[in-house]
Amino acid sequence: MPDFTDSLLPKQPTGLEALAHERRHSNLAIDELATHLLGVDGFLARQSKVLSVLQSEPLFSKSHQQNLSRPDRYKLGLARGKLLRRLADKHGWISEEHEMAEYLVDDVSPYMLHMGMFVTTIREQASDAQRAHWLPLIEGWKIIGAYAQTELGHGSDVRGLELEARYDLETREFVLRSPTLTASKWWNGTLGRTANHAIVVAQLLLPDSQGGYVSYGPHPFIVQVRDMKTHLPFDGVVIGDIGPKYGYATMDNAYMLFNNFRIPHSALLSRYSSVDPDTGRYTKPKESAVVYGTLTFMRSKIIQHARLVLARAVTVAVRYTAVRRQFSDRDGPSNGPELPVLDYPTVQIRILPLLATAFALHYTALAMQRIYISTRKEIEAGNFDSLAYMHSMSSGLKSLCTTLAADGIETCRRALGGHGFGGGSGLIQLNSDYLSKPTVEGDNWMITQQTAAYLIKKMTSAVKGMKGTAVDEIDVQYGTYLSQIHGASQTSYNILEQDQDLVRAFQHRATALAYNVYEARVVNKKPWTSLMIELHKLSKAQSQYILVTKFHDALASNTDLSEGTRNILWNVFRLFASYTLEADRYELVFTCGAASRAQLDALPARVNELMARIRPHAVSLVDAWKIPDYLLDSALGRYDGRVYEDLFNRAHRFNPLNKLTVNPNYWEDEIIKGGEDIKAIRAKL
Amino acid sequence: MPNPPPAWVQALKPAEPQGTQLLAQERSQSNIDVDKLGELLHTKEALDKQNSILSVLKSEKVFDKSQNHTLGRTEKIQLALARGKRLQQLKKVHGWSDEDAYVANELLAEPTPYGLHSTMFLVTLREQGTPEQRELFYERAARYEIIGCYAQTELGHGSNVRGLETTATWDPEDKTFVIHSPTLTASKWWIGSLGRTANHAVVMAQLFIAGKNYGPHPFVVQIRDLETHQPLENVYVGDIGPKFGYNTMDNGFLLFNKVKIPHVNMLARFAQVDQATNKYLRPASPSLVYGTMTWVRSNIVLQAGGVLARGVTIAIRYCAVRRQFQDRDAKASAEENQVLNYKMVQIRLLPLLAAMYALHFTGRGMMRLYQENQDRMKAASQADQEKRGAGPEQLRAGSDLLADLHATSCGLKALASTTAGEGLEVCRRACGGHGYSNYSGIGPWYSDYLPTLTWEGDNFMLTQQVARYLLKSARAVLAGKGTANDTSRILQAYLSRRDKGASFDILGNDSDIVAAFAWRTAHLTFETLKYRDVEKRSWNSLLVNFWRLSTALSQYIIVKNFYEAVTSPELTSTLDSDTAGLLRSLFRLYALHTLEREASEFFSSAAVTVRQIGLTQASEVMKLLDEIRPHAVRLVDAWKIPDWQMDSSLGRYDGDVYPDLFRRASQENPVNDLVFDPYPWNDNVLKNTPPKSKL
Repeated sequence: MPDFTDSLLPKQPTGLEALAHERRHSNLAIDELATHLLGVDGFLARQSKVLSVLQSEPLFSKSHQQNLSRPDRYKLGLARGKLLRRLADKHGWISEEHEMAEYLVDDVSPYMLHMGMFVTTIREQASDAQRAHWLPLIEGWKIIGAYAQTELGHGSDVRGLELEARYDLETREFVLRSPTLTASKWWNGTLGRTANHAIVVAQLLLPDSQGGYVSYGPHPFIVQVRDMKTHLPFDGVVIGDIGPKYGYATMDNAYMLFNNFRIPHSALLSRYSSVDPDTGRYTKPKESAVVYGTLTFMRSKIIQHARLVLARAVTVAVRYTAVRRQFSDRDGPSNGPELPVLDYPTVQIRILPLLATAFALHYTALAMQRIYISTRKEIEAGNFDSLAYMHSMSSGLKSLCTTLAADGIETCRRALGGHGFGGGSGLIQLNSDYLSKPTVEGDNWMITQQTAAYLIKKMTSAVKGMKGTAVDEIDVQYGTYLSQIHGASQTSYNILEQDQDLVRAFQHRATALAYNVYEARVVNKKPWTSLMIELHKLSKAQSQYILVTKFHDALASNTDLSEGTRNILWNVFRLFASYTLEADRYELVFTCGAASRAQLDALPARVNELMARIRPHAVSLVDAWKIPDYLLDSALGRYDGRVYEDLFNRAHRFNPLNKLTVNPNYWEDEIIKGGEDIKAIRAKL
Repeated sequence: MPNPPPAWVQALKPAEPQGTQLLAQERSQSNIDVDKLGELLHTKEALDKQNSILSVLKSEKVFDKSQNHTLGRTEKIQLALARGKRLQQLKKVHGWSDEDAYVANELLAEPTPYGLHSTMFLVTLREQGTPEQRELFYERAARYEIIGCYAQTELGHGSNVRGLETTATWDPEDKTFVIHSPTLTASKWWIGSLGRTANHAVVMAQLFIAGKNYGPHPFVVQIRDLETHQPLENVYVGDIGPKFGYNTMDNGFLLFNKVKIPHVNMLARFAQVDQATNKYLRPASPSLVYGTMTWVRSNIVLQAGGVLARGVTIAIRYCAVRRQFQDRDAKASAEENQVLNYKMVQIRLLPLLAAMYALHFTGRGMMRLYQENQDRMKAASQADQEKRGAGPEQLRAGSDLLADLHATSCGLKALASTTAGEGLEVCRRACGGHGYSNYSGIGPWYSDYLPTLTWEGDNFMLTQQVARYLLKSARAVLAGKGTANDTSRILQAYLSRRDKGASFDILGNDSDIVAAFAWRTAHLTFETLKYRDVEKRSWNSLLVNFWRLSTALSQYIIVKNFYEAVTSPELTSTLDSDTAGLLRSLFRLYALHTLEREASEFFSSAAVTVRQIGLTQASEVMKLLDEIRPHAVRLVDAWKIPDWQMDSSLGRYDGDVYPDLFRRASQENPVNDLVFDPYPWNDNVLKNTPPKSKL
């Protein structure tokens, strides 16, 4: 209905003008940088191809989804998941294109585990015969699968799982049994309402010679859990959705219990370990760490994802704070114009280091992916040497990167001021969905122990002087350090002027921490539990060192960027490293004396200076991530800067609440004029 | 709701040991007197009242919380209005005071659409109306005959009130004000209770008389018809849509197209337009409003303690029940360890346990100071009236104290609400995977609390006010014109010893910890003053320094208040010596953990040595964690937060965590009523006809 609000415009200068002004005043080559970041593996081309298909389908419109109840939101998610698969068939999308579509629609798809962990586990842990049987069914979506490992009482500690798979020699079947309530599978995505099959991880129990059973630890089984016709669970299986969560409304995370449920011998995935059907004898995997391969793969994906998530939050924050004006300059004339809040150092210090972090995550994600692919090849060839290294580094990096991204989204959201709390910010669902990451696939605090344990082991052998056995980068890193401290040469790095020295300072700090922890644990025999905080610090320091190194090396060896762009990126690198170092800068004094007191005192000023240099390019730097408005779904972060018009439009046109007229008098039970009253509402609870 | 699970599922128990046993064991290993401590924190009367109100609420079906997190936005807010109505009805039935109604709302633990009516609308009418206006508006509003809200912020304008765009133009012809929105960014925005509920609003608008702007003033404007509840002509009003949290509140937008209101609708206690002369008059100084804001902020600090306590109670109880991994140094057959025994869990939760006590005592301390000051000012003005002549020092001391309290309350509000907000998220993550479930009771609570970090003044913006005050005080001290308040005192103390240097024994003497916090604050103040006055750096370039300065001062005030509370005779004479000693340890943990996190500033201000920081990190904080750990569960029990209020499977008092999680998932979860068709090529999303929607 037309009304007097239609003709209202925002106050001058408008957001449109503000962003155009920002873009005019930076000489950054946006497309060149975009190609450098995301063009190489065809990401950008895929994005625009898939985007045009999605935008012509009304089912993918995001305008009403925030208002839906949990059951309705889930149903919408499933409907979208179905349509995406049909579009994939129709347009002949390859799997990367299908993934791109999921990413842009930005639901946590009810099919996510089917497309991810379920098929990956079959690929990596099924025998050739099992692969031949299952893969066509899975890839054709003839069956829908999930991955059920975590239990109600057991998360990161896989060895603590309670579900039993007892081998029955007579029938050649495994019998699945949940002995307690805490043995219930819990949190398993795609399983609550969607899947009819699941990879079920259970304690393998095999008969011993005395008529008893012996546990061989957790193993994966493929199990059909629902009837293919009725979609109801089989007798002896209880499954359901675990209820509302902080985010992930579209995902049916599950609980599942078994009551002596029988599955055939062939259900045990037997690429690496197997059970003889006749004798019940167990064949060990060549390398016990092999099951960690899938987990490591998931973690490298998580870091890939983290950089895009953070880039998205930063895009919204940078654009909106360039548009939003508040207070005039105190040192300026008393009637001066209000300043864009991005000019305030208190805003810059929250957003610009995160902008730099998105780049840092990017280069580490690329490096991780390279390492994963080469390690995977080695594993296929029977060589497990790199696996321990990759697994332990992936733990520390997963912990640090997801913490940086999760906290970063929230920091960006708060930097938006009041409107950051509103549905038009585009950061609400992102925040709620992403906040699962610090506690899934290994709790961010717990898993740092794995990285630390590995580093202590490495330091122990380095101290013993096992020369010539340098298997990985850590051996080199520790060897260098030990020869330095024994050489008694005072190391002090020029962190303000030398990029290479910044990297060395991080390396030195991480290594010195490793040495201290090694001394405490190995030499002084301190209890593990009492060292946990130090272990966490060690893992974090090592991961920060990796981020800084990968960023530095990518720029130092770069050939595809023009000099102007590269120079801006060097400042972005310096900001990331200096800001990260600043947070606990005196640790360099406390633990290893790797930088002079004067340089450390000057670090905050250095950070300010770098922010001032980056500030004019901030809008262009986020533009280069090429995040489409459709994905942002943000009035505040729109490419064109028409922030206020969009906020008003959403409230005005997209808000179903405004169709209800309420009765506000408390002594009258009526709630909706001519509609429901208190009694009607109460009856439905 | 779904059918109950089969018998074999109902027969299952959690793996041993049971959560109930673990919490019982926790409680038996500590001798803290939970009741005494609870009464010290809240008073016995308040706890009794809480219990009686709780039993009323629990018996009303409309307050059943089981579907809170499942509903859609429109269903949610209808339920919230039904609850708001019922609360008002119950208030009348049981003769509850306003304070009691507030307690009831706290127990319900979600905002209702009456939220802004019962607070800001009523307060503004009472405080800013003349006696005539109070009768005309306040009395009716107090009886809920008119429902209102407080409309200040706009689409394009938040903390900067002077930037508001809505205008109120005095028309000398017909003696009315014309309320108008000249642009889209002038739309009122975020206004609680406005979107669907209110029929009146206090509107802050720029007052124009004869073309001259007199700044923002409050006007009472009717916006909806009292019968049909439809917006009046030329008023455009609605709800602003779904939000991160607070979805039970109808935050609204509001635009005016030259709406006329009578002269009496401008709230005129502090400023008015003379009808005869068309002149602007200022009858009274609004220093009392100043006082109200200070009171509101002190209250936010106190509440922040309670908000955090909810998260910490849940996390500590759950981490005592949850077990994971064997101790690496234990024998192979050992049981999994309670995660609360892990240092990496303790270092996150126990400092927050200390912080919730710290914030509580600080909020209490501020309110006491505020009250004393009000009394003194009142006494002084009475004495003045009685012509006995109050000494000028006495008067100045009062207003000086108020200025100090006002400035410091800005910084404390910022620090306290940030501590509580971020602390809740730390608690949620410390609960591991289950923290992500809404049955944890933390997530939605956190999202509802988050706006506190940006309202009543954005936390980052507020810190400028603190810094401005500190710089002013420092200039006065340097000029020999320091006053008797605490801020002047710590600045003077620093100056007198600056050349000699500090040698605080933070590990041996608790009062030295407080002194070290004061020293660091004073050091930063003079350093920043040098940047501004000597080096003439621009205001904007110093904003980050100001923020650090404000944080330092606020941390000092919290540490000081906490120290005074744990050493006060009130506390030491009420509690047994063990409990009092533990509170002392909580003080040390809060202070030393903060010092360790801010080590850079303590080190660069030379308040402490590298050796002291090293010892704090490596041994003192660890020792305190060990000391407090056995008492953690009782220390949260003492806050007496009812299970019904927390609505958390993980934080239940009895520790029966897993059966409760399972019951809610299987029995209270409408998603399990739906049978899905999972195949992409079948158009059906459902295979069954689901039961009727819940609302």
